[in-house]
Amino acid sequence: CESELDLQPEDNRLTADAAFEEPGAYKAFLAKLYAGLSVSGQQGPAGDPDLSGLDEGFSNYLRLYWSMQELTTDEAVIGWNDGTIKDLHAQTWTSGNEFIRTMYSRIFYQVALTNEFLRQTSDKKLDARGTESNLRSEIQKYRAEARFLRALTYWHALDLFGNVPFVTEKDPIGAFLPTQIKSKDLYSYIETELLAIENEIIGARENDYGRADQAAVWMLLSKLYLNAEVYIESPQYDKVITYTTKVIDAGYSIADNPYYQLFLADNDTNGTQSEVIFPITFDGLKTQSYGGMTFLIHASVGGSMVPAEFGINGGWAGLRTTSKLVEQFPGEANSADKRALFHTDGQTKEITNISNFTNGYAVEKYRNVDVNGVAGSDQTGDFPDTDFPMFRLADAYLMYAEAVVRNGGGSEANAVTYINNLRTRAYGNTSGNITQSSLTKDFILAERSRELYWEAHRRTDLIRFGKFSDQGLWPWKGNVPQGKTTESFRDLMPLPSTDLGINTNLTQNPGY
Amino acid sequence: GTVTDQANVPLPGVNILIKGTNTGTTTDFDGNYSISAKNGDVIVFSYVGFKLQEFNYNGQQPLNVTLAEDTALLDEIVLIGYGSTTKQDATGSVEKVSEKEFNQGAIVSPEQLLAGKSAGVRITSGGGDPGGGSEIRIRGGASLSANNSPLIVIDGLPLDQRGVQGVRNQLNAINPNDIEDFVVLKDASATAIYGSRASNGVILITTKKGKTNAPLKVEYDLKASVAQVTDFVDVLTANEFRAIAETDTNFDGSLLGNASTDWQKQIYQTAVGAIHNVTVSQGFDSFNFRANVNHTSQQGVLTGDLYERNSVNLSAVKRLLDNDLKLTLTTKGILDDNKYADKGAIGSAIGFDPTHQVYNADGSYFQYVGQSLALVNPVFSLDNNNNRARNKRNITNFNIDYNLPFLEGLKFNLNAGLDYSELSGKEYRLASPTNPGGFNYENFYEGFNRNSLLDFFFNYKTDLTSLNTKIDLTAGHSYQEFFIKSDRSETETAGNLIARETIINRNALESYFARASFDIANKYLLSLTVRRDGSSRFGEKNRWSTFPGVSAGWKLSNEAFLQNSIFSNLKLRAGWGKTGQQEIGQNYGYLGVYTPGRSDASVQFGYNNGVPQYVNTLRPEEFDENLKWEETSQYNVALDFGLFNERLTGTVDAYYRETNDLLATIPTAAGSNLSDLLTTNVGSVLSKGIEFSLNGALARSEDFNWDMAFNATLQENKITKLSLGNDPNFFIAQGGISGGVGNNIQLWREGLDPSTFYVFRQVYDTAGKPIEGAYVDVNGDNQITEADKQAYKKASPDAYLGFTNTLNYKNLDFSFTFRGSLGNYMYNNVASDRGNITTVNDAPGQYYVNAHSSVLTTNFQKQVLFSDYHIRRADFVKLDNVSLGYLVPGENLNLRLSLTATNLFTITEYEGLDPEISNGIDNNFYPRPQTYVLGLNFTF
Repeated sequence: CESELDLQPEDNRLTADAAFEEPGAYKAFLAKLYAGLSVSGQQGPAGDPDLSGLDEGFSNYLRLYWSMQELTTDEAVIGWNDGTIKDLHAQTWTSGNEFIRTMYSRIFYQVALTNEFLRQTSDKKLDARGTESNLRSEIQKYRAEARFLRALTYWHALDLFGNVPFVTEKDPIGAFLPTQIKSKDLYSYIETELLAIENEIIGARENDYGRADQAAVWMLLSKLYLNAEVYIESPQYDKVITYTTKVIDAGYSIADNPYYQLFLADNDTNGTQSEVIFPITFDGLKTQSYGGMTFLIHASVGGSMVPAEFGINGGWAGLRTTSKLVEQFPGEANSADKRALFHTDGQTKEITNISNFTNGYAVEKYRNVDVNGVAGSDQTGDFPDTDFPMFRLADAYLMYAEAVVRNGGGSEANAVTYINNLRTRAYGNTSGNITQSSLTKDFILAERSRELYWEAHRRTDLIRFGKFSDQGLWPWKGNVPQGKTTESFRDLMPLPSTDLGINTNLTQNPGY
Repeated sequence: GTVTDQANVPLPGVNILIKGTNTGTTTDFDGNYSISAKNGDVIVFSYVGFKLQEFNYNGQQPLNVTLAEDTALLDEIVLIGYGSTTKQDATGSVEKVSEKEFNQGAIVSPEQLLAGKSAGVRITSGGGDPGGGSEIRIRGGASLSANNSPLIVIDGLPLDQRGVQGVRNQLNAINPNDIEDFVVLKDASATAIYGSRASNGVILITTKKGKTNAPLKVEYDLKASVAQVTDFVDVLTANEFRAIAETDTNFDGSLLGNASTDWQKQIYQTAVGAIHNVTVSQGFDSFNFRANVNHTSQQGVLTGDLYERNSVNLSAVKRLLDNDLKLTLTTKGILDDNKYADKGAIGSAIGFDPTHQVYNADGSYFQYVGQSLALVNPVFSLDNNNNRARNKRNITNFNIDYNLPFLEGLKFNLNAGLDYSELSGKEYRLASPTNPGGFNYENFYEGFNRNSLLDFFFNYKTDLTSLNTKIDLTAGHSYQEFFIKSDRSETETAGNLIARETIINRNALESYFARASFDIANKYLLSLTVRRDGSSRFGEKNRWSTFPGVSAGWKLSNEAFLQNSIFSNLKLRAGWGKTGQQEIGQNYGYLGVYTPGRSDASVQFGYNNGVPQYVNTLRPEEFDENLKWEETSQYNVALDFGLFNERLTGTVDAYYRETNDLLATIPTAAGSNLSDLLTTNVGSVLSKGIEFSLNGALARSEDFNWDMAFNATLQENKITKLSLGNDPNFFIAQGGISGGVGNNIQLWREGLDPSTFYVFRQVYDTAGKPIEGAYVDVNGDNQITEADKQAYKKASPDAYLGFTNTLNYKNLDFSFTFRGSLGNYMYNNVASDRGNITTVNDAPGQYYVNAHSSVLTTNFQKQVLFSDYHIRRADFVKLDNVSLGYLVPGENLNLRLSLTATNLFTITEYEGLDPEISNGIDNNFYPRPQTYVLGLNFTF
């Protein structure tokens, strides 16, 4: 009977060797790498999770990344009692914070997935499987995309945590303890990887919608260089000019559509997609999750807001903003700047009780309706079609302008033109346009907030400008209504205590 | 004549009867008697505690008789797995619980027969649902994430520890009425013969068989019951609720109604139930049989909940070749039908606004239409959501027991078993009335479980008179396979029924086992066992492992120095064994497998002619190729004693158990694997305890008997190692609670019991009231953060006990059972989540939600989830079972009437619904009802 103990899966699960007998398996695995950003597991919206240490909806990559980048800043507060979620805005988090822990887990899950993809598509494996040449050349492009996705994730790790465990496709899968990499070395690794794939990945605007291309690589390089002073204490603004210029010259354009249409259910087809360099795509029927855009739209709706106007069946009454963001706009909620998408009816501008949805203005940025107000494809109103614009041209414009201001070279005139492109759209006319004299660091930071608020850039921006922790004030920072500064060590998140407890190779970031 | 015992002491009250007549008498105080008899009469002497004696009267005068003590209790056969022993020869910690000791009443699930009856065995029902399962723990759990339930073996067939799909409790396949006895194997020396599944103890269930040479017997047994809920969760009344709602700064009175509805009373019903058993048995010289037909129908107290069982149970024994060959067939056919009420109604009833009526004026259900996060009217849910399942199951066991002719004492035993069940279920839910976009949901599910077993062993018994030693040797082989298949079709989008992928899980175990027992001079006992197990769940290099056990006993009462002492039995025994655990839920944990994604979790890759193209994903799963058995070492020392001719018997057992290479689902080192948590071998747990049981026959006479049984268990479990690292503060959060997502109230940490709570220390004002949000700043950093949480109390008890009394007076019998638990704490999650003003005032929509009444004393504004204020003592003593019976004897028909009440009262200072909830978290608990049972039993 002893051979009867050699049992293998008999349902739709497969061993690796059996799985890759099917040529489509490589594309399906690549799709999983993208799905790692948008959904939380193998079944929508939940039920077969990738991660099991936290509620599945909360464990979604975009939801966690957004929470790290926005809830910790002046742009967003959340009213819920889920674990330590309120500590994010209060900047009182500890290494025991489960949201920080799960962000970290999600990042390294994504890294482990991409590593596994690279192992399974090595020349040796493909030779052994006798993969035919057409598929092989296709797989080489997939590999470049996988390496881009890994670099993107490692950039998030670098930006959030600094010194992190480091694993590549050369490491095994098992119960071993990865070694820790210094942030400077991680920076070099990301840069090297991106430069290596720059000419292997599909050209700018030539890949399928939803997949990464050369412009996404340039965009990520620009992000890396823009923050190089934070990461490696060495300015790289000239390189920001180089790579943002490549993006800007690649043929993207600011569409004629009003600003708010960038964030609608049809933002992949309504014209605004001409600006999008790398989206995280969602679909009400095909790409379902309780994280991602489902979270961003439902959690923003509450109070007197009418769910149907957002194309959903009900609000989760969680997310609002602080008066700091409102005051970035001249005229505040009634600003001529149409990027000020606030819901004020029944809401107070200031927050006395974070738990109460009506404290603080609500933000109407993301909706699951198209330009005609028609709700997305999911009739139940649970899951939106709206895509998340992770990288878009406006950000490239603003990075270019910032690099100019920070003496990276480039053209001041171009910088002003780029910003005025955005402001003309925002105002509907040129009344909001600026001149070269307005081009200061403070202006750039404020303009980035006006243009890119709630798009998961704010924490990184504030840190680059030195205004995240020991400088910079906004309501409820430091867990007091008027706000107070915190210690500068909070510019980096703590490594989770669980991983420190397991992986003895790790040293905690200072201050925690 | 005079009747005396073996020590020549006169025995008063001995019954004396001339056989076949009504002529009889009893001895007087000095043991003297006189009776008229004629030559050839048979005179029968009987006395409780002594062997019955018959004398052929041939004119002896006086007829003096010496009665011998009856040590039948000690000679009682006890199963020990692949064989049997006697109680006096058992060296492991083995306890038999027979029918007369079972709990009484309308018992649907067999494990409830055993609750409170055996030291070291804790049985906690999951709640009040009809036929619901229980958590069974023998000496606490030996594992963390792996299964902590004992292995259950029915007539030699080990059940699948994962259960059977679609039923409330897989043990319901065994009709309680059919159970002859339970044998609980507690220590490792006893369980090691079951090797890889034995770490949490083993329960052997033997079903009833016919008896040789027994007349035809027909029995009808009826148990009719009514049950009702006697306690509800304390929530605000309509007036209290309205008063709080009115304090809302944005109070909208139009959202309230004018009624005063106790929603909990709306969802519970008086549940009726009936259990019918018809049993026929007969025995001949070489053949006997027993047949039972059972119908059980039990409503749940939650309206609409229903359990039904229809079963046929047959056993037949045929003896051939001069009784050298014994063939035993047992087969059970069970239709297990369930209608599952929507348990979500329990939480909805607690939270539903009491100012609203169940129905609107037009007769429709009151609902919050368009408020998708609002509670659904619980009466609507119970009336309209329908989930029914039928599980058809057959458990068959065929056993051949053959005394081999060429060697005296050698026999061969073969056991073939099959447990096959087929599930078919249908769930139907009306579209959520709160969400206008909702759709009606249908879910058709089906599947089967197949558990097949083939094992055989040789047994050789011999008596080496030259060495004054009895030898008993057993060796055998076993193979068992478990196969599970599941299918479902469910509504994915409105009106669109989708067939889901078939799920198949197969695993197998192969084993070799052997045992050698020696009895030297009827004083010294030694038993050695070994089992070698292979499991399909582990990779080749870790597939096989060996589990040894050794135990020894010393029958002190057979030593000369204890002859004629008060001890009728005294035995010291000790054992050690190593056992395993492989029940980790997943079958391919050592093998990296790929799981395809469903189409609703796909991603868009561009367009084709303007149509978005979606690609389904493929995910590699986490794995640990070095996955292996969890291993438990257990030491046991015990003393069995019997006093006063076995009128008082008892056992004290002490154990020390250590589990290493614990199979636990723990965080992986980030980056090292393909998930955040991985089931792997890590860490150790330690448990130790003392078990004490005492049985006394307080009264023994013709008319009046009183038996008392008491058992107590002291136990301690703690985690001794949890990770590969050395950080003593490393912990893993456990115990998910309601009131926010991702919140946990317990932790695993080295040095602590696995059910320890993890909370802030509440600060109180001078009047003793908790100050909201004020906690002890343990680390003194002037802020309250995660770092200030402390380990505090635990859910598992330090001690638990059972106390049973059985009294008979003539044909009247009376029994009652108390159960108790000490040192256990409970987290009141209903109060922590809902005992605050925000619950009422800050719903995420246009409605109000009811709060827990504790808000009236605490006045908490917000949820206070992590305060030790909500961790409460939950010690309890419960009168579990009281039963009164009367036997009406007849010529051809005996009738027994009984009246039983269960769950009569609980003495506890815990203020929540029930102090007995196994994980220590009290939240939307299905209340255990109080039940009254009328029993009728006719025997022809």
